[in-house]
Parts: sequence; structure tokens; C-alpha cells
Amino acid sequence: MTDTTKHTVKKLLLKLLMVLLVLAALDVIYYYTLYPKDLAENCTLKALSERATEGVDIVYLGESSNHTYSDADTDKRFICEMIDDMLPEHRVGNLAKDACHAGVYYDILRNIPRNSDVKTVIVTVNMRSFTSEWIYSSLEPALRKEQIMMKKAPSLYKRMLLAFRAYPNWTDEEVSNIIRKNFKRQTFTLPHPFPYRNAYEWDQGVGGSYTLYNGKQPSMDTIAMACHYIKEFACTFDDNNPRIKDLDNIVKLCRKRGWQPVFNILAENVDQMDSLCGPDLLWLLERNAQYIIDRYESQGVIVVNNLKEVRDSDFRDRDFPTEHYKQTGRLAIARNVAEAISGKSHAGR
Amino acid sequence: MLFNSIEFLIFFPIVTLLFYLMPQKWRWLLLLAASCFFYMWFIPKYIFILLITILIDYSSGILIEKWKDDISKKKAYLVVSIVSTCMVLFIFKYLNFCSANLVALAQHFGWSHPQKILNIALPIGLSFHTFQSLSYVIEVYRGNQKAERHFGYYALYVMFYPQLVTGPIERPQNLLRQLHEHKELNYDNIANGLRLILFGLFLKMVVADNLAVYVDKIYENPFDYSSGDILLGMLFYSFQIYGDFFGYSTIALGCALAMGYSLMDNFKTPYLSGSVQEFWRRWHISLSTWFRDYLYIPLGGNRVAVPRWALNTLIVFTVCGIWHGANWTFMIWGFAYGVLLILERGLRNIHLFDRIEGKAGRLVINTLNVAKTFVIVTLLWSVFRATSFGNLHDLFTALFHNGAVANQLHVAPVAWISLILFVLVDILIRDSRFDVWCGRQKPLVRWCVYAFLMFAVIALSSVEQIPFIYFQF
Repeated sequence: MTDTTKHTVKKLLLKLLMVLLVLAALDVIYYYTLYPKDLAENCTLKALSERATEGVDIVYLGESSNHTYSDADTDKRFICEMIDDMLPEHRVGNLAKDACHAGVYYDILRNIPRNSDVKTVIVTVNMRSFTSEWIYSSLEPALRKEQIMMKKAPSLYKRMLLAFRAYPNWTDEEVSNIIRKNFKRQTFTLPHPFPYRNAYEWDQGVGGSYTLYNGKQPSMDTIAMACHYIKEFACTFDDNNPRIKDLDNIVKLCRKRGWQPVFNILAENVDQMDSLCGPDLLWLLERNAQYIIDRYESQGVIVVNNLKEVRDSDFRDRDFPTEHYKQTGRLAIARNVAEAISGKSHAGR
Repeated sequence: MLFNSIEFLIFFPIVTLLFYLMPQKWRWLLLLAASCFFYMWFIPKYIFILLITILIDYSSGILIEKWKDDISKKKAYLVVSIVSTCMVLFIFKYLNFCSANLVALAQHFGWSHPQKILNIALPIGLSFHTFQSLSYVIEVYRGNQKAERHFGYYALYVMFYPQLVTGPIERPQNLLRQLHEHKELNYDNIANGLRLILFGLFLKMVVADNLAVYVDKIYENPFDYSSGDILLGMLFYSFQIYGDFFGYSTIALGCALAMGYSLMDNFKTPYLSGSVQEFWRRWHISLSTWFRDYLYIPLGGNRVAVPRWALNTLIVFTVCGIWHGANWTFMIWGFAYGVLLILERGLRNIHLFDRIEGKAGRLVINTLNVAKTFVIVTLLWSVFRATSFGNLHDLFTALFHNGAVANQLHVAPVAWISLILFVLVDILIRDSRFDVWCGRQKPLVRWCVYAFLMFAVIALSSVEQIPFIYFQF
């Protein structure tokens, strides 16, 4: 290395140090000026995790199933409000937001203040959230932005991650490519011979032949609905599933913070699923629910299995498989969760 | 890979560091690999299209040089090269457009014509690297450039990552020559390069992206907004596209300069132009000079009779419009510029303001000329921005009929502040460049500018994902 090069390198390193010092000063300025506004705009969950945990001993983490109701409902209470009413000796805080999943719940939980009174954490386990259609949904980028702002890191650094899009920015074409690849990769095995190996093949088989499992050829809308069910549920959960990893992290965090985790496996429209896709898809769904129960009950988690608790008539949406229930559906789920908590949780003891 | 992405913040320093650590003889390989990686970040398989263009023009260059004394053969290779390179561009960019128009025409006359639509995405930056590749072949043909024998260097000339996607469209005499040169680690180059990158990021992420939010709203639903809002949207678009494209070019210049390569300036305060002709000397310079050198002059330029010159001008600007995109709006936009240039030439002997004398008088005249040009350019940008004639019709209908509608566009202070700052800086660095201007300031002023730009880029930039406008071309 020549003397000139050495001199240049020294000069560059010095300037780099100066840039870092300037950034440190800017971080302070940002923290006291624009950060609160950015948090309010881009991170509603952080504020929620601080506000909704004040004076509560149970928190309810969920998605739209918590607060979506039918216009005909006379009881429009959220699931968490129902649980709250069923457990008069406890106070339940609402930490639900549309399209949330275990990855976001983990970050919300990490942001619960250390001095909070929380003792029990109810985590909604939506079976659809484990599959590619949800993992790569168009709602994910907004949630990832929230996750960035919830990180425990210098405020200016977090804003930089937002500014430089350190979160997924898939185009529609990219999303469909990723989902298709994942469908093809995630094979499943049934206990008997089955013509399809993965969701892609199954979807193509039904959608391409316009024929249901029982040989019926119903309307296009019905075929489309059957395909939705296949794409949303035809997979087998395993250790590599990102949502399983998130749930593992939640269990570890609960252990660390002394909280009792309660996993609330949400009800799916098994009646409709069975009529459109037959017993094979239902078998896969039940197998996945059992996987969660076996995996987490052994780790001390209270797992409430609501998978088959709601009948077809108590589901609100008719054009897509969702977990949006009418009041009887919400009530059934709330009751099961409340009973599990009152019978077994820290809070109940 | 996008310049305003976290991946690029990691990519750039690693590539630059490796570049200086690597011996000169292997640097082309590093830069080529980095450029491939940069390009494949978008849609990997499209690298093969680029490879086809490179192979065609690389071989053509050698063959043209080989037959330099045989005019007919030389010309034949040139034609083969131009046609095949343009064919790739045509298939990916214009085939669906032509097919759709043929169908419409057939329907008009009652003929049957099945529409064949190719389900393909336009490879990013195809028009840019096609033109860069063509400029090499033409320069070899003209004898201004020796054919490059080293395939790696030629591929790097076409693929050099800083300007691969949206230019500046370089000439072989400038870039190819530099790629062979040994570049020493130089503090000034790195400092100036980083200054340009920071300024470019500010233009894109703070100015353009903050304005884009309002522009998109206006163009999506013009009837929801008042005439004032629509005018504001049109004004904002003028600065959005300038900030966006100038920003990208500035970052490109900065990235190249950090490694010691000097790319051509693409903008020189275009909105301070006193005429449309001057505007095109200052806007997207690498493209306008490309058209001048490879189309306008070969057509005869201005050394022909006036009617022929007018035709040449119309041809060049219409092609320039089509180059931007396969849409009638682009064609009309280009054609309109051709007409305006003809008008300008026709009116140049009419001196309405000759009697106005003195410095103040000239200043007033110049200001009025700048304002007139800016209004024309802004109006034509609305043709450029509109997604279709229907959209353009809606925009102008709403503009003339929504006078009584209450203003709906609530512009955030950050958008106004960044816009005003952009205008001021543009005036301040007129006929210079940001890095040069910065280098002339006292250290304290310089560091205040750096601090402000860093803060603005990180804390005031839009959090929405807004693609670079020229990526679509």
C-alpha cells in the first residue's frame, strides 16, 4: 500500500467516523421531533401494546376474527370483550389487528412494558396464517413496517429501515410466483393414495376439471370456493413453517416473562370444507391442529381447540374461507377460551 | 436492485471496496458479476435477453471492423445488428401494442383479426441498454471507436450497473475507454461520489416520492378534485418526474464516480430553459444527444431545406416519444414537442421585445421565457403521465369543470418544503453539479448540508414504495 493510499484510507475512516457522529446526533433530534408522529402513523401496534395492557392481567392477541361481526348480530361484542365478561375477576386487554399473525404477536408481546400486570396471554392461532397465501399476502408489508418500528433499536435506524424498504415489497407478479413455488414445494402425505402431492396440483386438478371430489360439477363460484379452501389449507405444518417458529418464540418469551400462554385455535368452516373438498382436506386440517396441540401442550401451553366449534350457518362470509363469525360463533369460541383459563391459568389460580 | 433499497446500501460499499482491493486485470470480472447480480435482482431470467443483445452487437462490432474497407458488407453487418437489436426491443416493448392496434383497426373495418397478446413483462431498462449497445455499433461503423475484442469488457460496457437500468445512455468513447483504465483509490472521487449519491437519494426519496402521493391521487380520480388541485397535481408531476429521474441519474453518477468512472451529466437545470429547444438541451441529455447523433443528423439535421428539416424534427421527436413507451400518449407527447420546435423556429424572427433594454428588462424577458417554457413542459407532462387518452380527457374535463369544487388535496408541509428546497438548490447549482458546489463550500456549511440531507433521506422520505418512473422504459 502506497503512502497516498494509506493517507486516503485514513482520511476516509475519519470521515466515516464523523458521519457516524452526525447520525448519532440526528438520532437524538429525530427521537424528540418526528419519531412520535412516525410511530403514530406507522406503528399503531406499539402504542396499542402499551395502552391496552394498562391495568389488565390478560391480553388477547388476534386478527379480524376478534372484531368482525354480522350486521344481523344483536350482540356485537368482540371475542375479547366476551371473554372479559365471562371472567369477571380478570380484565382482558384487546391487542388485535386485521391480518395479524404469530410473527407480529411476538413483536407486540415484546413491547409489553415490563411493569405491566399481564399474567396470561391469549394467542389466536389461525390455521390459514400458516400457509403461503397469508404469509405472502398483500397485507404483509404493512405489518412488517409495524414490526420494524416495534424493534428495540435506535429510532433513526428504524426509520432508515422503513425509508429503504427493509420489508417485503412484492409486486403482484412476484407474489403469485412465490406462492406458486411454495405450493409446489410444500408436499403433503395422506394416509391413503391420493392423486395430488401438493396444493398446486390439487388446485389445478379441481379448477382445471371443474369437478369436485365427489364428481359433481357445480357452478364456477362453487369451484372457485373449493379451490380457495385447497390453497388455504392443503399443507402439513412442520418445524420449518415460519409461523411455528414464531409460536416457539412466543412460548420462550412467555416463559421468560412469566406469562401463561393460551393458544386459541380458531374455528374453520369445516362443514363447507367437507362438502366442497371432501374428507381429505379435513384430515389435513385436523392433523395440523393436532400437531399444534401436541407440540405446545407438552411445553405448558393451554391449547384451546375450537377448530370444529362453529357451524357453517354461523360463518359470516360466503365468498371466501374466513374466520369471521356471527355472534353465536364468537360466543362459542369465547366460552371455550374463558373456561380453559378459569380452569387452569395462572390468573385463575 | 433499487438504489433506494436496503439491499443496495449493502451492495454498493461491498462492491466498491472489493473493486479497490482487486487487481486491475480482474476488476472487469468483479464489475460484470456485480452488474449481473444487480440486474438479476429484478427478474433473473431477463439477463438472457440482455445477453442476446450483447452477443449480437459484440460480434457485429468485430465484423464491421473486419470489413471496414468493404462498404457494402460493413453496412450489411450494421443493418443486421440494428435490426436484430431493435427486434428484441420491438418484441418485448411494442408487439402487444401493435397487435392491439391492429385488432382495433380490423374491428373498425369489420375484418376478423385474432389478437395475440404475449404474456411477458418488459425487461427493466431494455430501451436504455439497447440504445447504449446500438451507439457502440454505430460508432464502430463510423470508425470513431475500435471494436472491443474482450467480450467481458464489452458486456460490462452494456451492463455497467450504475447506469444499466435507466442510463445515462453512455457512448463507447467515454465509458468503454474508461473501463480499460486503471483507477487508483482517490479521496476526491469517493467523496464526490458519495455526495452525489446522497443528493440523488434526496431528490428521489424526499422530493419525488413525497410529491408522487398527490400526483397519483389526482391522476387516478381527477373528478374528485378541484381545478386548483388538478393544476397543483400537474405542477407536482413536473417536479416528481424531474426529481425521480434526476435523482436516479445522480445516484448513478455517484456510484460510478466512487470507483473513478465519470459518466455524462443527464440534466442541467432543465426548468430554467427559456425555450423548448433549450429544454431538450438540458433534459435527459444522454437521450437527446443520442437522437441528435444517430437519427437527426443522419436524416440531414438542419442542413436541409426547411420543410425537410421540419419533417426530420417531427420524425425524431415522435420516435423519441415512442421510445418512452408503447402508448399513443407517448407518441403524441413526442410529436407535440416536434411541432413546438418547428413553431419556435418559425417565430424566432419575430422580436416583440427588442426594444426592452437594460439588465432588469432582460431579466424580465428571460423570466417570462422560462415561465412560458415551464408551462408548456408541464402541460405536456400531463400527456406523458396520463395512462390513456381517456385518462387525459378526464383530467382536462375535470380541470375546466371543477372550478367550483372545494380543494381536496391537503399537501403535507414536507412535500412543500422539499419542493421549494429542490427549486432553490437547482437554481443555486445552475451550470454546475452538486458535488462540485459542495466541494466549494466551507467545511461547516458542507457538513450542515450533509446532516440535513441524511436527516431528510431517512426521516422525511415517503414510506410508500414508489418505483422509479423511468424503470418502465
